[in-house]
Amino acid sequence: MRKLLTGTLMAGVLVALPLAAGAQQLFDFTGQALISNYVGGSAGMFGEVFDPAPATTPIPLDFAHNQYTVVVLATIAGISPFSRSFSGGTITIYEDAGTAADYTNPATFSDGTAILLGNLKNFSQFLPPAGPGSVSGLVDWTGGSRLDDIAPGDQSDWAFLSGSSPDSGLLEPGYDEVWDGKVEPQEPIVADEASAFGSVKALFRN
Amino acid sequence: MWKSVTVRLLAIGLVFCAAPVLGQVYTVDYYGFGWETGGILPSVMGDELVITCSADNVDPAFGVDLGTAELTLHIHDLISAGQVDMGGYYAINFTGGMMDVYEDQVMNADWGTNPPNGVSPSTFADGSLFFSGQFTSFTMYFDGSGSSGSFSGTLDGVGGSIIDQMCTSCVYTWGGAFTMGASAQIPVGYDLQIDGVFEIDSAVDNEPTSWGSVKALFH
Repeated sequence: MRKLLTGTLMAGVLVALPLAAGAQQLFDFTGQALISNYVGGSAGMFGEVFDPAPATTPIPLDFAHNQYTVVVLATIAGISPFSRSFSGGTITIYEDAGTAADYTNPATFSDGTAILLGNLKNFSQFLPPAGPGSVSGLVDWTGGSRLDDIAPGDQSDWAFLSGSSPDSGLLEPGYDEVWDGKVEPQEPIVADEASAFGSVKALFRN
Repeated sequence: MWKSVTVRLLAIGLVFCAAPVLGQVYTVDYYGFGWETGGILPSVMGDELVITCSADNVDPAFGVDLGTAELTLHIHDLISAGQVDMGGYYAINFTGGMMDVYEDQVMNADWGTNPPNGVSPSTFADGSLFFSGQFTSFTMYFDGSGSSGSFSGTLDGVGGSIIDQMCTSCVYTWGGAFTMGASAQIPVGYDLQIDGVFEIDSAVDNEPTSWGSVKALFH
């Protein structure tokens, strides 16, 4: 009987192994930012999330039937010669099958269903005197209709990285900077977790 | 007198035959990973920086379907001039350098680990040459922590299937952000992860115009 049980467990572990664990996963976006130039002012980025093929999104998204937009909002907490720091940063990813996102109307980026809401921490922008800047921080996902697609243990400390440029040819009228970047988990999100057989056996010892 | 004026106007018309038109920006959005011989930071004068990238969004004007083909970027032969402490951040200028972009239906791009290896850069440098450019400038800027920053470069287009396809006097720029942070997915052996945009700006392009159209301007 024990032998049969062991054989069944081994088969189960093999089936549960991830098939494409090495694939890169990210929410890839390009957007336009409105940035205040004083402490206490607001900072906002309104962008579109693209299908990152051949990479994949951390959770499955239906780009054929929906548009996905991302909105980042924060407050300027500090300004120094080569950087800005932000406080109270939030990030929201929306799914919308209706209104097309339009930079002349930022509200079109925050309609639809909020599928993921997160808080940004260690959120700051590096601004060298020449060339583009970079924006970085960590995201903790806390809400949204698809939050449960991410295991609780995988919802924290996603890397936010973006280039920022006030001189890009992509800059839309009325905006201050173009942001192009991504949000990604620390490691690929998989449907099943690979485990050593010894670890599986240990589950049945308690 | 009138004839003289007409001739002068026609001469002016010939000049303005090459008048700038409203600029169009074409983009290739990419992400990837890079390594420098000996590691970075520090960046020692003479080190070579190599970056391999995969495009994840491309302007429809190029006609590349990323569902059936991959667009990969191989940046190589960028030679460090050494890092410079700028008092709050670090800058590294590079000399030389090429960026080759390939279109490949095999879709085999793979970074592997500890580059150069059996798959990188080779799987980013196969297929048909889409664009080849020679860097005229390239600089990396590290923030004070030395763990992330930005980069930008300009190129002269020298080859590939899109050369002269989009514009004849394009301005090519390559820029974005990078991180070496522990939270980012970085394959073992690579020094940094990058994300950015390759921009092809036709702002200084010339619009082909027929002689009849030029003459019509003076009718």
